[in-house]
Amino acid sequence: MIAAILDGIVLGLQYGLLGVGLTLIYGLAGVLNLAHGQIAVLGAVVVSVQMGNGMAAVPAILIGLAASSAALLVVDLTIMRAVYRQSGETRILLGLLLMLGVAFIIDGILVWKYPIERLGLRIGGDPIAILGVKMSRGSLLASGITIAAGLVLVVFFMFTKFGLAVRSVIQDEQGARLVGVNPARVRTFVFGLSGVLAGLVAVTRSMTGPIGADNTISLTILALIVAVVGGLRSVPGAFVAGVLLGIVDRLSSFYIGTYITTIILLVCAALTIVIRPTGILGGSSG
Amino acid sequence: MSSPLLEVSGLSAGYSGENVIRQISFEVDQGEAVTIIGSNGAGKSTLFKAIISILRPTTGSCCFDGVDITRLATHKISRLGLAYVPAERHLFPELTVIDNLHLGAYPKRPDPAVEAMVFEVFGRLAERRTQHAGKLSGGEQQMLAVGRALMSKPRLLMLDEPTTGLAPLLATESYTALGHLRDSGLTIVVAEQQVPLALELASRGYVLEDGRFGLTGTSDELAGNPEVQRAYLGVA
Repeated sequence: MIAAILDGIVLGLQYGLLGVGLTLIYGLAGVLNLAHGQIAVLGAVVVSVQMGNGMAAVPAILIGLAASSAALLVVDLTIMRAVYRQSGETRILLGLLLMLGVAFIIDGILVWKYPIERLGLRIGGDPIAILGVKMSRGSLLASGITIAAGLVLVVFFMFTKFGLAVRSVIQDEQGARLVGVNPARVRTFVFGLSGVLAGLVAVTRSMTGPIGADNTISLTILALIVAVVGGLRSVPGAFVAGVLLGIVDRLSSFYIGTYITTIILLVCAALTIVIRPTGILGGSSG
Repeated sequence: MSSPLLEVSGLSAGYSGENVIRQISFEVDQGEAVTIIGSNGAGKSTLFKAIISILRPTTGSCCFDGVDITRLATHKISRLGLAYVPAERHLFPELTVIDNLHLGAYPKRPDPAVEAMVFEVFGRLAERRTQHAGKLSGGEQQMLAVGRALMSKPRLLMLDEPTTGLAPLLATESYTALGHLRDSGLTIVVAEQQVPLALELASRGYVLEDGRFGLTGTSDELAGNPEVQRAYLGVA
């Protein structure tokens, strides 16, 4: 039981970061990024290819994160322009369809060019006992990196001028313009940031198991579920939702079976929409 | 002689191809307080939105401090020192009062002296500084909207119906605060339906009717004008 919960927290931290990436783009641009998992895996595959060419892990990871980030930057600066000119339902729909197109393209490239490329970062050393449960060093390092990334985000959003500007655009774009914030620039930045976060999730997950082209869709679906449970506009909500869903995931795999886990997570998302449409932390957005 | 701080000439704008305001021209000099009075739907908000580029004007131009701001992006106009307080306020509801104020100074660092001045003029905001803006009363939200605009150290403050939704006592209080700002040298343009308050604040005014400027004159002239008295001052 404790083992399952600890495992769940490790997994959940990554789910949280996955959901945060999706939430940021939705909150800011009204675009549901259905290519989030694809962007994540793209980064992991780039890391794997670089390491296959003999590059050391850390620079390879940095290049991988840059690749994920660059992919979303290009999306923001090109096809999303057409979306930003629309409003309301048209905007949501067009954004959805275009991101789905991006997902297909990345999936296509990965399956075509790198069908067997898998990133598996093996972290050596003996397991470390936590609360009497032996945790692999890979899990601990992955969690450490994820928590550090979360803390960086908290500092950025709470204590920096630009972080505050991002939150202002999420809450009232017109108001943000009036105080001198350029929403287009904030949006571009957040697409880039979301790409880095997606890449980071894939890289940290590869510390506990290999990540490749066949993980894209499940990561996108997880990101969507986590973001919905978090309230779709709440960054802290997405993080908390990720951790809780990670624990639910591991407990249900442990006691019921892996095959039904995704369904249980989907039920969690559906229940959230019905019972608490503003997400797990209520109305706190930004 | 020096050129006006704001110069609007021949401005027309509206929605879906239909002009709500037509051929509006006016000037505001440095240090002046000017009011634009008009009833609901006369086009006051449309005029402001066209100046600040929230709406794209169909004809005409706007110059602020010698810079052509027609069609310049809203955030750039704000950075030039033209602050606009819309009737809908557009605060950031889930940010604290202090965060809302600090964003007012964006992209510059908030000036502690200006912040202190805002808290002095709007004492109630100081008590609420860690509360979310969405939890404030209507009057406090109005104070915050003006305070946020002041944080950018604007050279021109444009307000659209600052008394919207306020009880009469709060409306008067709100105008007392604006009077202090005027006396400190801030240039103010205020659109208003509460004409007595606006005429007391401003030295002169324009009457906006059906998208065009009609009467114009000093506040005393307007207050003494029988048409204004009948339409806006409730004098039979």
